[in-house]
Formats: sequence, structure tokens, C-alpha cells
Amino acid sequence: MLVGIDVGGTTTDAVLVEGKGVVKTAYVPTDHDNLLKCLLGALDELVKGVDTRKIERVVLSTTLITNMIAEGKTDPVALVLIPGPGTNPRDYNLGEACILDGAIDYRGREIDRLKESQIKEAASKISAQGLVRVAVVGKFSQRNHAHEQKVGEIMRAALPGAKIELGHKVSGHLNFPRRAATTLLTVATKDKYKEFAQAVADALRQRKISAPVYILKADGGTLPLDSSVQMPVETIFSGPAASIMGVLALTPAGQTSVIVDIGGTTTDLALILSGKPLLSSKGAKVESLLTHVRAFAVKSVAIGGDSAVDVSGERMTVGPHRRGPAICMGGPCATPTDAMRVLGLTSVGDAGKAEKAMQEVANKLNCSPKEAAQKIVDAVVDKIVAEVGEMFRAWEQEPAYRIWEIMKKERLEAQNVVGVGGGAPPLVPLVASRLGASAIVPDFARVANAIGAAVARPTITLNLHIDTERGEYIVAEDGLTGKVGDRKMTPEQAEKLARKLLDERAARLGIGEYSGEAEVTYSEVFNMIRGWSTVGRLLDIRMEIPAGLLASWRGC
Amino acid sequence: MSSKGKSGKTGLIFFPAFDWAISPTHPEREERLLYTRDQIFEEGLMDLPQIDEYKPRLAEMLDIARVHFCVPDVESQITEAHLIAAGSTLTLADALESGEIRNGFALVRPPGHHSMRVVHGNRGFCNINNMAILVEYMRSKYGHKRIAVIDTDVHHGDGTQEIFWHDPDVLCISFHQDGHTLYPGTGFVNEIGGPQALARTLNIPLPPGTTDEGIHYVLDRLILPVLEEFKPDLVLNSAGQDNHYTDPLANMRFSANGYARLNEKLAPDICVLEGGYAVETALPYVNTGIIQAMAGLDYSHLKEPDFVPGRFVQSEQMRREIEATVAQVQKLWDDRDELVKDALQGLGDFYRRKKRIFYDTDMINESQEETVRLCPKCSGYMTISSQAQRGYGILNSAFCVSIPRKACSSCREDAKEEYEEHIDDRRFGYVCMQDKDRDAFKFHNNMTHTQMSY
Repeated sequence: MLVGIDVGGTTTDAVLVEGKGVVKTAYVPTDHDNLLKCLLGALDELVKGVDTRKIERVVLSTTLITNMIAEGKTDPVALVLIPGPGTNPRDYNLGEACILDGAIDYRGREIDRLKESQIKEAASKISAQGLVRVAVVGKFSQRNHAHEQKVGEIMRAALPGAKIELGHKVSGHLNFPRRAATTLLTVATKDKYKEFAQAVADALRQRKISAPVYILKADGGTLPLDSSVQMPVETIFSGPAASIMGVLALTPAGQTSVIVDIGGTTTDLALILSGKPLLSSKGAKVESLLTHVRAFAVKSVAIGGDSAVDVSGERMTVGPHRRGPAICMGGPCATPTDAMRVLGLTSVGDAGKAEKAMQEVANKLNCSPKEAAQKIVDAVVDKIVAEVGEMFRAWEQEPAYRIWEIMKKERLEAQNVVGVGGGAPPLVPLVASRLGASAIVPDFARVANAIGAAVARPTITLNLHIDTERGEYIVAEDGLTGKVGDRKMTPEQAEKLARKLLDERAARLGIGEYSGEAEVTYSEVFNMIRGWSTVGRLLDIRMEIPAGLLASWRGC
Repeated sequence: MSSKGKSGKTGLIFFPAFDWAISPTHPEREERLLYTRDQIFEEGLMDLPQIDEYKPRLAEMLDIARVHFCVPDVESQITEAHLIAAGSTLTLADALESGEIRNGFALVRPPGHHSMRVVHGNRGFCNINNMAILVEYMRSKYGHKRIAVIDTDVHHGDGTQEIFWHDPDVLCISFHQDGHTLYPGTGFVNEIGGPQALARTLNIPLPPGTTDEGIHYVLDRLILPVLEEFKPDLVLNSAGQDNHYTDPLANMRFSANGYARLNEKLAPDICVLEGGYAVETALPYVNTGIIQAMAGLDYSHLKEPDFVPGRFVQSEQMRREIEATVAQVQKLWDDRDELVKDALQGLGDFYRRKKRIFYDTDMINESQEETVRLCPKCSGYMTISSQAQRGYGILNSAFCVSIPRKACSSCREDAKEEYEEHIDDRRFGYVCMQDKDRDAFKFHNNMTHTQMSY
């Protein structure tokens, strides 16, 4: 049996899954000041009368990191940058930073030396500020981390006990400011996350649940709790990730679906394209910081069941603000929920109050209350349909750097519109019919998020960079380098090496049993020509287990 | 007018064509923009609020036929990479016109500025002229009248020059390493355009070894003041990067900072990448600098690893040489109206010239006779008879007719007559007619007797 628990905005939901079926669900209200209590409350509710020895796996999705960052409760961090030539680091939105000399180029060659005295000076400044957490990030450190390591060593010696995080361990992708932001957030959240993880582990032990515990990441993958303390930021936005994985689990495989989660103030949209949840093309935006965290592309639209309806002259607007609940629920102003109540699309709230709310709008618009309600619902559907179209367009317009990528001219249309969350059921059929798609409100839609957590498989990404002229390979995140003897290494040989390195990483993270599901998702090879002859090759291989469902759920 | 003072973002299209090469070891190969990719992605430039990245689209056949007479047809002269590179400039043009961006940079390959009006093959790594395609698109779609093209590649922009040779509304300025010492061997001060457009083509040949100081002298003393007087609707930069001091195919001493400063001062509406083959030592830095300058970002932290200010000092002799050239070109510009008046007085109803064009990449020799009607009512129609040879055999021959924008009725009638007359004329394999006024293109194959149009 599998357990999935998702800490949502209002409730914490839990499900018990066996094979392809949901055995039991439970939920408790979410208390944002005590997430652990909610998790355990939902868990206790769920396993009442269940033989806990039969639980094979527990997956949690929490808003811990998301909340910590949103509420500014992260720990203070000193940011140390080694930017080298290029952009003025002040043009990045990274706040205060110590800037060090020294530079590495795109091939991983040192082009400017570190200055030891300058590093020590920076350390004493950090010490004077009373900071005990440091993020050290160099441009192109994913190609050569010698500078980051050296700076880290000097800092460690000068700042005894300080927590020091090096950029290359956090992300091997190109994009220095994102690497800096991600490293910064990692250090800022690590300690508190560790405490939380420890508390979860202790609580489960007390309950005699010995099954492995996983945490859900923003990319819809699971990671063992004890490994996740190395990369706490990856757990942001796990709520939407849980919903999307839930929809993936509850809809036919391989199809293209729009996921619509209609809440009070906002509607979240996400896409599953031919059975694959769409990732945002670069990385997640966390508050004002752009990061390297792989996350699903979720578009938040400022319209929902409680959006305020306003009429000025002959123009009616719905949203973007919320002034309170719907009038039919005792709120202050007319909302789409009132309109849906009048049209019989929902049975929540007081019918008489809804009617009165629509009458008021109708008076201003010179029409009947039913017509007014229809106009409001149409406006909401229009807005959602337009934003879905925009999402598909943005996906089609993602830049491409090869001819074949541009020529394939893929165009996808939604086959399904899937509703999750409380506000979805009445509106989903309307959105679907406008998009020419089928409306799906799955059974268990209310706990789709918890189901998603329960049945999501681990994800892992390995980036291997090989420079055969320099005779080196590097896996930045693992801080791993090695020698390559063959200048004419082929992509096939490189992929073999990547497979081996991925197996090793998966084993280290405690997910070795899944490494067979890894696939090469990106492979590029460039011949380096100097003069008129080939002097070497540059190969980049990305191997990953992408977001997906456990084999037991897939039925294989 | 140029983008000075306008607010908004810089549009960037990066299309490195990582799966396209002229041949595996050719300078124009897959690897060319690899390190540039690494640098600009690592800098995180695409994420900055000042910059918006766009996806390129494919140019359409008509976009190309609006400029070129491709023989035997457009399809056989291009690959998909060419359509994407040319299309990139058009995507930026639309974004500029809609006000989404204040300026744009098409960081794309393959390049185009050596492609001339008639195309029989590849010359100087170019098949179709991205810049000229952009200019004609801007004019036909958005009605721009006066456009200035500044060619900052180290090689003379001979293709662009040839395409706009007779056009007084397109000012073509090219500075480059002296044609005595570098491909394509042209671009001397005396090449100043056709009789109706004299001194609307300006060439500034520079001595090998010219530094930041020399190039900025040309910019400050000549190019910027000329632009001030010409008052173009648009300023476009054919942004080659091979003036760089490490370029393996040329001998200049321009720096990444020099390039950035040039683009800051020139403030082009759109930049289009041309050449530049120091793939590691120049391109990552020069491209970063151009993007920074266009986006109004600080480029003072940008430098090549081996560059120190004051590394290259201009000699006294070089200074005098450059000053003399600038003075000569300045005089031509100042006298432009006189020059046109004098030239037209000495000519009859038609102006004719013969020329030979060599396609170095494809080893083709073309001979052309170009005839322009010196029409008092419009800019006059043009015909070109073209014959291309490879080795000792005739490759292709074509008779081309071009009807200008706002053509008078008699030029239009005569041009059409010329086209009709050459249909099934056995001296030519193909007859083509470009109608810039109606934005249409007609094409007749004299061997198969088939006709097509765009």
C-alpha cells in the first residue's frame, strides 16, 4: 500500500492506494504554522484501522519551503560571486553580494586568478556581519569548480562552523544568476528543512511506519526524505506538482490535457502534452528570484469563484480582485459563484441571496438576472479559454536552436479539460466545449493531489559535459570530474558513461531501483575544428528519469 | 527614426543553426556560435527584464523573391537554415513595428551580406541576403521610405551594396578592411552607387590593423553625422564581428568593448549578424557586448581574457590614412546632389553597365548586363541579363526584370513587355519579373515552358 499526503492551502489531504485503486481518503484542515501537525493528523486519520506494516511507501508534498520563502522566514545568507568578465553583477536581481576576482571561461579554463587576500577580506566582512551561511557561486563553475572549491576552503577556515554551499553542486545548467539564486535559497532553507525532515522521520518511527519516506519535488518526482535535505529548494511548488501528477494518474495515458484548478481568487492552469506534463522551459521563479529548479509550467490566472464583479457604465469586469466570499455565502459583492448559483451550475450558498446579487448586476446592465449571470460565467470562461490558448502559443513559441526543432512545427490541441479543486466541476464542461475537448472531472478529483504524491515515481537528472580536447568529463552537481582518453569519443560512448554515472548517483540517493527507467533526453556533439582539422569534441548528455507514475499504478 | 530615447525591450533571436554547415571544417560550421551560446546563456541575458527572446519563423518565398532573382529558383538556392535566418530578421521587424521591442538583434547564421540581386550559388559564405530581405520587407509591409544600412563586418558588404546600388532611399555605408588585402576585393571610396543614387553608397576602406580608435573616428566623424543628415526611418546594422583582433580570416584590431560602444552610439533599430570566425576568442565576448549595448546594459565589465586597455595603439601614419579616407568620403557625401545632377546630364534614357561576379564558395563566374531606365517620372525599371558559368560549361542563364515601387505607367508597360519578349527566348533558360509595386513575382522556365508566381 502507498500513502500520499499533500499539504494544501486549506486542507491537508491523504490517500491510501493499493495497486490501481484508492482504498481510503482522509483530510484535516491545514494549519500553516504547524505543517508537521497537519501531515501527521492526516496520516493518523488515514491509517486508523490499517495495518501499518503493509505500507510500502509514504510520499509527502509540503508547502514548507514555499511558505518559508513567501513569509521571509529563511535564514540570512552571505552571497559571494566570482562573476568574471561579462554582465555587471549588479544587473542581476540578487541583492547584496561580495564580488571576487578570478574567472573561468566556457571551456572551463582559468582566465583570471583568484586573489587569496581578497577572499580572506570577504570572509572577515561576512564574519563582521554575523553571517554564518555563505553561498559561493562562480560563472562557469559547472565547467570547472576549482575556484568555488578554493574559495569555499578559505571561507571554511576563516569562518569556523559556517554553512557553505557551492554553486556547482546546486546546478550544472548554464545560467550563472539562476545558479546564484538557487544556491542562495538552498543555504537559506537547508537548516530549517533539515529540522522538519528529522521531525517527520521521528514521528513515523514512533508510529512504527518503517516504509521509505519520500518528498515530492516541483518536477513531479519523488526523492527520499534524507536525500532531499541536500536540495530543499527542489520541494517548492510541490502542491501544483502533486495535482498535475494526480491528473496524470487519473486520465488516459498519452493524451493532451489542460488541467484547470479553479480556486477562489485564482485559476491555475497546467498542460499535459501527449502524456507528458509540461515543464517550464528554464526553471521556477521563486518570489522575485529566477532559479534553476525544474518545475512544471503552471500559469496562475487572476480569476476564480470569488472574483469581484464590477459594472461601470455598460462595461462589466470580473476580477482580478477578491473582496470576500460570494454574496450567496454571506460575502460583500457579486461573484461568479453567485452567477453559477443562479444558473443552477452549483448548489452552494443561499439561492435567494445569489438571485439578489444578480438582480443588482442586471439592473446596471439593463438585462434579466439570468442574462447577467450568463454574462459573468461567459466572462470567466472566456478568460480561461484565452489563457489556455496563450499557454499553448507560448509553448509553441519556445525558442529552438536547431533546424529540425523549428521544422517539426508541432501543434497540439487539448483533448481533455480536466478539473481539479473545488471550483472546477461546474465550469470545466463549459471550458471544454469551447476548446472542442472532452470534460473530465475524475473520481477522487478532490484528492487528486494526494493521489499524485502517492503514485509519482522518483525523478533524477544527470548532466554530463565532456571536452575531449581537454581530456576531461565533468558532472557538476556531483562535483565529479574524470579523464577522457579518446579525442573522438562518440555520443554512444558518452551515453554509456552517462548511464554508469546516473546509476551511481541513483544508488547514492537511494533510488537505485528506478535507474533502469532513465532515458537520454538531450545529446549534443560538436567537433572542435582549429585550422582545418578536428582537435577534439564537445559532448553534452542529459540523462534523466522524467516525471512519471510508479510501475504498479501504470499496471505493469 | 533610430531607437534613441525610445523605451522598451531589446528583442533577441538566437539561431545558431547547430545542425547546419557549409562543410564539416568550413568556418561557417555547426560550432560557430557554440561558445557564444555558452556565454550568453551563462550570463543569463535572456532572463534580464531588458531583453525578450523570440523564436524565429521561416521567411516565405516571396520575402526572398522581393529581393533576389534566384536561378533556377528560390528553392534550389536555399536550405531551411537560410529561411530561418532570414525569417528571424522579419520576426524582429514585426515586433519592432508593433512596439513590443525598441530594438532587436538577429544573432543568426548563415550570414548574407555577400549575396547580390541575382543568385546562382553561394559566395562569401552567403546564399541570400538577410539584411536586404529585411529592408525590402520593412518597406513593402510597413511603408518605410528611407533606410540606412551600416555594414560593420570586416569584409565589404558587396551584396547589399549591389542590391541597393541604384536606390537613393537606401543609404549603404560599409567600413571594412581595405579590398586590396581582403575578400571580396571591393569597397573602395569610388564605389558610390548608380547615377540616380550617387553617394547613397559610401565605402570606407581601412588599413589592416585598424584599432578601436580608428573605427570610432570613422563612426563619430563620418557615419553618425551622415545619418543625422540622411534622417532615415530605420538604422540597420550588418553586424559582422570579424574586425576583432583575433579573427582568423582578417587583420583588424577591434575589441569587444569597441563593438559594444559602436552599437551604443549607432543605436541601430535592428542588428543582423554577418561574419566573424574567431569562434572562441571573439564571438562570445563581442555578441555579449552587442546585446548589452542594445539593451542599455553596463558593458564595462566585459572584456576578452587577454585584452588590456591600451593594448593596441594606432600609429600616426594610420591615423593620417584614415583621416584622409574619411575626408574623401565626406566630400562625396556633401556633393551628392551635384554628383547626381551631373551624372544624369551626361546620360540618355538608359544607363547600362556590365559586370562580372565570382562565387568563391561554388566556383561560379557570372557575367551580367544591367540596364536601368533613367525615368523622369519614377525611379525606372531595371533589366538584368545574366549568364553563369562553371568551369567551361554554361550553368544557367536568366533574364530578369524589376519594376520599382511607385513605377510610372510607361515603365510598368515597358517592363512587362521586356518580360513577355524574353519568354521562350532561347538565349535564356529563365525569365523572371519582380514587381515591387504590387509585391509579386513571376517566373518562367523557357526550357519546360512552365510559369509560376508568388
